[in-house]
Amino acid sequence: MPGPRKRARHGDLSVFISKRLGIGVVLIFGVMLMSFVLTQLVPGDPAAANLGQQAVEDPTVVAAFRHKYGLDKPLPVQFLTYLWNVLHGDLGLSQQSHRPVSTDLAEYVPATFELAIFAIVLSLLIGVTLGVLAAVTRDRWPDQVLRVVSLAGVSMPTFWIALMAFYLLFFKWGILPGGGRLDPTETAPAHITGMYTVDALLHGQWSLFGAALYHLALPGLVLATYTIGLLLRFTRASVLEILGNDYVRAARAKGLPERVVVMRHVLRPALVSIITVAGVAFGSLLSGAVLVENIFSWPGLGQYAYLSAINLDLPAIMGVSLVVAVVYISMNLLVDVLYGVIDPRIRLS
Amino acid sequence: MRVRRWTAGCLAASLVVSVAACSSSSSSTNTSTSTSSSSAAGSGTAPAPTSSGSSAAAVTSSGTLVVDTAFQLKTADPGRMFEPTGLLVDHAMYATLLTFAGDDVKKPVPDLAESFTASADGKVYTFKLRKDAVFSDGTPVTSADVVFSLNRVKNLKGNPSFLMDGITVTTPDATTVVLTSATPNPAIPFIVPNSALGILNSKAVKAAGGSDAAGADTSDKAETALNTNSQGAGPYTLTSYSTTTQVVMTANPKYWGTKPKYEKIIVRNVQANVQKLNVLKGQSQIAVDLSPAQADGIGSTVQVVNGASPNVFFLFTNNSSAISKITSNPDFQQAVRYGVDYDSLVTLAGTGAVQANGIIPTMFLGSLAAGTGVKRDVAKAKAALAKSGLNNPTIKLAYPSDIQVNGLNFGDLAARVQANLKEIGITVTLAPASVQTALETYRGGKEEMGLWEWGPDYPDPGDYLNFLPGQVVGKRANWLAGQSPALEALGAKAASTIDDATRATQYTQIQTMMNEAGPIMPLIQPAQVLVAANSVKNVKSNALWLVDLSELG
Repeated sequence: MPGPRKRARHGDLSVFISKRLGIGVVLIFGVMLMSFVLTQLVPGDPAAANLGQQAVEDPTVVAAFRHKYGLDKPLPVQFLTYLWNVLHGDLGLSQQSHRPVSTDLAEYVPATFELAIFAIVLSLLIGVTLGVLAAVTRDRWPDQVLRVVSLAGVSMPTFWIALMAFYLLFFKWGILPGGGRLDPTETAPAHITGMYTVDALLHGQWSLFGAALYHLALPGLVLATYTIGLLLRFTRASVLEILGNDYVRAARAKGLPERVVVMRHVLRPALVSIITVAGVAFGSLLSGAVLVENIFSWPGLGQYAYLSAINLDLPAIMGVSLVVAVVYISMNLLVDVLYGVIDPRIRLS
Repeated sequence: MRVRRWTAGCLAASLVVSVAACSSSSSSTNTSTSTSSSSAAGSGTAPAPTSSGSSAAAVTSSGTLVVDTAFQLKTADPGRMFEPTGLLVDHAMYATLLTFAGDDVKKPVPDLAESFTASADGKVYTFKLRKDAVFSDGTPVTSADVVFSLNRVKNLKGNPSFLMDGITVTTPDATTVVLTSATPNPAIPFIVPNSALGILNSKAVKAAGGSDAAGADTSDKAETALNTNSQGAGPYTLTSYSTTTQVVMTANPKYWGTKPKYEKIIVRNVQANVQKLNVLKGQSQIAVDLSPAQADGIGSTVQVVNGASPNVFFLFTNNSSAISKITSNPDFQQAVRYGVDYDSLVTLAGTGAVQANGIIPTMFLGSLAAGTGVKRDVAKAKAALAKSGLNNPTIKLAYPSDIQVNGLNFGDLAARVQANLKEIGITVTLAPASVQTALETYRGGKEEMGLWEWGPDYPDPGDYLNFLPGQVVGKRANWLAGQSPALEALGAKAASTIDDATRATQYTQIQTMMNEAGPIMPLIQPAQVLVAANSVKNVKSNALWLVDLSELG
């Protein structure tokens, strides 16, 4: 039987999550409204963007296009219709792929998700490890080297890193594959999540899992470069700040091994700020993978967003905005909940 | 000691990542090899190259061809398709009444129609279908399929619908198709090879919700089905389709014509600057989108097919005094015409580019001979500017800044034009804009001066009548009907002439007149570069579908 305090805590958490979800719904509505208004403000006509040079001269073709995509209705009606359809799971029809936006997103979001998850795991693994290493070796040579590494990570343009990595690791040395989620002759695993590594595992296709992981390595590493640099810096700063606390000195004075001091008494409180950064970084990875996806022929949300923008594909733009908003809001909620898990003081307050 | 422990930790983490990569590397190679073997077993076709000295798996196998191109693809449904990648893949899957062989687009040759005749007035074209042609499911191709396919294109009211403007299709018997045009239309034999007019298996498409009736733009539901399974009579069938990843096609076992060499063709969506590395590495066999600069000095491990593209870059000065008193001045137009350094633009565009001697590309009927285009004449340009009465005119040059055509930036060309005209006393202010924004002002006829490009809708000079006064492009320059009666009369005559020799003469005259006066100045045809592995034979650049995949050996 849970005690009254525990029940109250669970109740608090439910209220907290409910409130945040409520705010999230309002935010999503705001994002949709803003996306809709902004796409209307952009100069350019979707019909002109999507129809050819001859077709656009034919009023019947233009009228058919406008009717098909609901562009012949007044703007408020378009928006309200869109909202109503979204509530019923219909995100509209993409003008660039001629498919329902939800079908497109179901294909592209998992591809980017897989890439972003791989990149964030890699970033946490490398960034946090190196950040702690830099902090515990403060002002000695490993710290100096890692400071340069982190600076390089956050300063170098992603497209440049991508092209260099592609040239060296694929073309010159042949260590990693060039682009795509699989080799062209390989067949993707049957769709469950849309993430090839996960689907291959679920189907027990080990060689396909290896191939998918292999193809993830290069774009994932490139995408992770910035986040590694960022996490390295944040981790170093957080760990240094905590290392100066009295309780750390006390732990050391008690004769605890340095490994235990760092892992148990330093890293855990430092994780609060690391998770904040990682949460925001994950959202950025999802929405900012355009260049990496382009260079590595990765059919993800970034490429889809880019094509939607240049084609003035309004339903697709709205769909992408919706996904990114949901991801950001979810990540923020998750981060807030994780605060409480990591640091009970935050939970109690 | 502490440092050592942390260093060891870091190394361990790195090792985990490396091991994952290495183990999957070997897995990938194995997977690829086994797939390659299976595809090789049934094909018995020419081997494609493999990469050497690399742990990255070579993706090709005997009988598989990989083509890299930056996708411009919205659908594989011929009736709705009019993008470059769509033309490329649909040409391989859908037979048409007539076609073009290799790179020769001056002479349509038989495909599903073994012969055709034209009426003396150029209004009626009668096609006789071959009897042995079948669709990929073995169903014979009949005239009813042709009627369905062409009417569907017309009634879908999509991008390619204009190809059927004013044309009605009838069928007196199962092997005869008659295309009747409301006005004389000598371009019909050049229009019907378009992949958008690919002939569909009408029964299968109707079963999938297809319709050719009026109102098909809302009633036809066959697009999804056609993006899953092709329903054509071409040398290939659709295996898988994605607008962002790749299109895979497999040789049609029931193809009635010459069997294609490659069992499987994979057309991948790859950014241009990565295509070069892929083709050099043996990961692909053909790269479609390299610029001349990227292809220069590429080495002897690949072949480069470098010729002029059918796309024409042109400049126009707005002919409306309401838009600009400067650009509408005929003498100012002459100053621009003779002030542009065409040779320097060709140099800028790279190996393979040529001057657009007239508005009709060099590979089409009626094009002007090399060396007969306008040449820069600074003295003449300055004299024309002086005659115009304009003192140090300043104009805005609009162009789309976020797209390339054949690897060439509009911005680079615009900057060169700006420098050229500066030398004769015209100040050009560059006005770049995103293509969507620029298109709106261009199509609305609001640009003072514009730098644009025209890609052929079909390889017939008739398509370039759009540049005459009162026509599509003419109107964008506010060169309106009645402003050049002699030219318009000649255009009307050319539009209804059937005899090709006479047409060639007429179009030559039209372009010569356009080169003498008027607000439109053809500049260059950029290079169309195809880079292919040496093992791929018969690589020829086609003005309509880039390369005929089924002709490759």
